[in-house]
Amino acid sequence: MKSVLMVLIVGVLLCAVAFCGFYYWGTASHRGLLNQQAPELAWLKKEFNLSDTELMRITKLHDAYQPHCAEMCRRIDESGARLKTLLTATNAMTSEIEAALTESAKLRAECQRDMLKHFFEVSQTMPPAQGKRYLEWISERTFIRAHTGMSAMGH
Amino acid sequence: MRNESENPEPLRRVLSEWRVTEPLPPRFQEGVWRKIQQGEAGAKPVATATAWMLFKAWLAAALPRPAVAIAYLSVLLVVGMAAGYRQARQTTAHWDNELGSRYVQSVDPYQKPSRL
Repeated sequence: MKSVLMVLIVGVLLCAVAFCGFYYWGTASHRGLLNQQAPELAWLKKEFNLSDTELMRITKLHDAYQPHCAEMCRRIDESGARLKTLLTATNAMTSEIEAALTESAKLRAECQRDMLKHFFEVSQTMPPAQGKRYLEWISERTFIRAHTGMSAMGH
Repeated sequence: MRNESENPEPLRRVLSEWRVTEPLPPRFQEGVWRKIQQGEAGAKPVATATAWMLFKAWLAAALPRPAVAIAYLSVLLVVGMAAGYRQARQTTAHWDNELGSRYVQSVDPYQKPSRL
């Protein structure tokens, strides 16, 4: 009976060790990504099979784009806050609200134009097939996203 | 005895005249039902114990055989590997999605967390 118990325990231990080993092995590359300084760019490298040189060029483009992106964020926040103030002050359409909406739409168009310009630059840095895939993916997540959201709401 | 079985009249007469004067003990009916329930409950563990004993006996006879032990260990090894691999796939898919979203948020001002 003692040997039976031993075999049973060894079996359970073996199962646990195999589980942990395969989990550790299966997540090793991703854990490495998460420990990088810029995990999202490291993920981009893995996802689009980029070389170190390509990643370096993309990182430069990304870093150069960040101040402009932050400035756009600030303007979007300002525009949103202005619209919010106007909307809380009235319950009817006013010329100020119309102007704020027009301003907001112009800002969105400007933002999308600059984003798209950046996406084109990034995609051109990649090998052609991966660049095409990147453009499809990022367009899906940014420009086409809003339309998909409206469809999902039944419009 | 022989006379009584041949002629049961005296016995019938005695039985018809017999009166129980002693009162029933307190909570007699409840006690009877409890004993019935205990009898029913006691019957089940006997069956379970038998099945468990049979299983233990089978295990004790089968597992020391090398072929059975190796088969048992192999099955658990494969189950552990498959479960670990599957769990790792789910986790990495979640991380992929998370990192993809972080990249999109880093380049799309409209998807950055709201600061209003």
